[in-house]
Amino acid sequence: MTGDLEIRIEDESVTPAEGWRFEMIDPARGFGRLVNGAASVPVLVEGSAGDWVVTLHGRRIPVTVRSWRERMLVGAETAATGRAGRAAGKATLPGLILTVAVSVGDTIDEGGTLLTIEAMKMQNDVRAPRSGRVIEVAVRPGETVTTGTLLIRLE
Amino acid sequence: MPPFSRLLIANRGEIAIRVIRACRELGISPVSVHSDADVNALHVHLADASERIGPPAPRESYLAIDAVIAAAVRSGAEAIHPGYGFLSENSEFARAVEVAGLVWVGPPPATLESLGNKLAARRAAQAAGVPIVAGTTMALTDDPRELEAIGFPLMLKASAGGGGRGMRRVDSPGEVADALVAARREALSAFGDGTVYAERLLAPVRHIEVQLLGDRHGRLAVLGERDCSIQRRHQKLVEESPSPAIGPSTREALFDSARRVAGTVDFHNAATVEFLLDAASNHYFLEMNTRLQVEHGVTELVTGVDLVAWQIRVAAGQPLPDAVMHASSRGHAIEVRLYAEDPYNDFQPSTGSITAWQMPAGPGVRVDAGVGADTDLPPEYDPLLAKLMVHAGDRPAAVDRLRRALDETVIGGVQTDAGFLRWLVDDASFVNGAYDTGLIAERWGIDHGLPEDQRALAATAAIAVRAASEVAPRHATDRTRAGSAWADLARREAMR
Repeated sequence: MTGDLEIRIEDESVTPAEGWRFEMIDPARGFGRLVNGAASVPVLVEGSAGDWVVTLHGRRIPVTVRSWRERMLVGAETAATGRAGRAAGKATLPGLILTVAVSVGDTIDEGGTLLTIEAMKMQNDVRAPRSGRVIEVAVRPGETVTTGTLLIRLE
Repeated sequence: MPPFSRLLIANRGEIAIRVIRACRELGISPVSVHSDADVNALHVHLADASERIGPPAPRESYLAIDAVIAAAVRSGAEAIHPGYGFLSENSEFARAVEVAGLVWVGPPPATLESLGNKLAARRAAQAAGVPIVAGTTMALTDDPRELEAIGFPLMLKASAGGGGRGMRRVDSPGEVADALVAARREALSAFGDGTVYAERLLAPVRHIEVQLLGDRHGRLAVLGERDCSIQRRHQKLVEESPSPAIGPSTREALFDSARRVAGTVDFHNAATVEFLLDAASNHYFLEMNTRLQVEHGVTELVTGVDLVAWQIRVAAGQPLPDAVMHASSRGHAIEVRLYAEDPYNDFQPSTGSITAWQMPAGPGVRVDAGVGADTDLPPEYDPLLAKLMVHAGDRPAAVDRLRRALDETVIGGVQTDAGFLRWLVDDASFVNGAYDTGLIAERWGIDHGLPEDQRALAATAAIAVRAASEVAPRHATDRTRAGSAWADLARREAMR
């Protein structure tokens, strides 16, 4: 079920290496190796969900792996908290609101969690990419939202 | 019989552990010290006891003379080993140790004082017939003609500095006035002394140091040289012995100069005399450090002499035996320093917590580490994580062994310089031994785009782990999530 997953490194789409396979050695640490039948390379994979850091030949490489639904969600996050001006965030996929971390009047710092949505059996934090004051919270925990539902409005 | 029953180590990290190991082998009970940031540090766990000396800030703990002396007295230690850095070259501390009735594992305090003045050391070396880098031998005044007479480019150096700190490059007469003001201000704030001097900048140049060991009975052993030319910010990253750049006559000239410099002071214990070597194999005295060096292990590997054990024995009054006096160098040793630094971003320090820690082993490999898996890296201290050393019959074999050892090395959680080191062992100038202090600036450079093949491999690993994590139990923490997923996957596969 990796068919719709998109891999990005340094904001560019990347295709996995042909003929190489990953073998996990120490799951607790994320330590494994890449093999192609002729050679092997030790590799460390740390992270969860869509965000990973792969350590290869001593270099830490941030890698995102997202399904199209997660990419839509990230799109919603950006819409909700756009770089400038007043913005309304709308859900772009159906999901369950798990938690709402802010109330009207709160000031949120850049990177702070606004709310958590469960979609595709994955929890996703919607974070604020800029600081601002919350002027409307349109959803509650436990509420199921459909595409187009208003989530949060930032000043 | 052990030279002491109890010894306090006034340091932290890998060097504290190195001294603890020497104590164990000598039958001495080691006592460590720790700041509040180091309560769970590895060096604390390996000592017989540890004394708290203060808050995380070095000034209030590892540099707090009164706190360290009080800890030593409290613990019943008979001697103090300072390691390197922190208080190791502080004459006031050395005096305080002796006033407290304890043995100082180091040279006489007056020697630390005179060598701490780099300008005075420069004059003394010149008077002893040792070549020094062209430049001033007195404190600089505001007269720009002093510098114009030396020629450009040149380096302004703090007389109270050393070890690569307090240096400033000046390329043209127009920069002199501003550079002088800035260098004096920096020297005053960093070392409490604004005296600066100037040296002609030599390039290309290698940085070579000679290891000395002296006892309290006037015997002085010369234990070979180390080539420390691979540096960033004038600080060493890689050291090897013997130097691939010198032959027997240059080596003997360096040893002779080192003996002459040592003869200018009342000296016992371990010391290093540092030189620059130009392309014509002329050498020039830089400074003498009367303490253990970070890179001492390289010399231990090729000579078989345990420098730390001998520091302690010499401090207790034991004479150096002929086996140490005439120790010869065998094979080739190389050390690389694993730092929590980002070589893809100008070697800037990185902080965080070590998540995975796999060090190499096997024939001819030595690792002196101060951290392990799950160690937090306090931002207050030096980012040195470990020193990886290899020893082999000759230099090509040592380079092959180092490459193999680096391929076994895996560190997670923080960016380290391991990627740079792995690049280095394939770099032609390093493999040929034909490098100089400009290697990092000229060959590693600043442009570090990620090669296509590495992108593809990273993608392969990430998507495999993500795919396995799709079956992860919800609410798992980041650390265990991937792991549980793999366990789940394994169970499912087994049930098929």
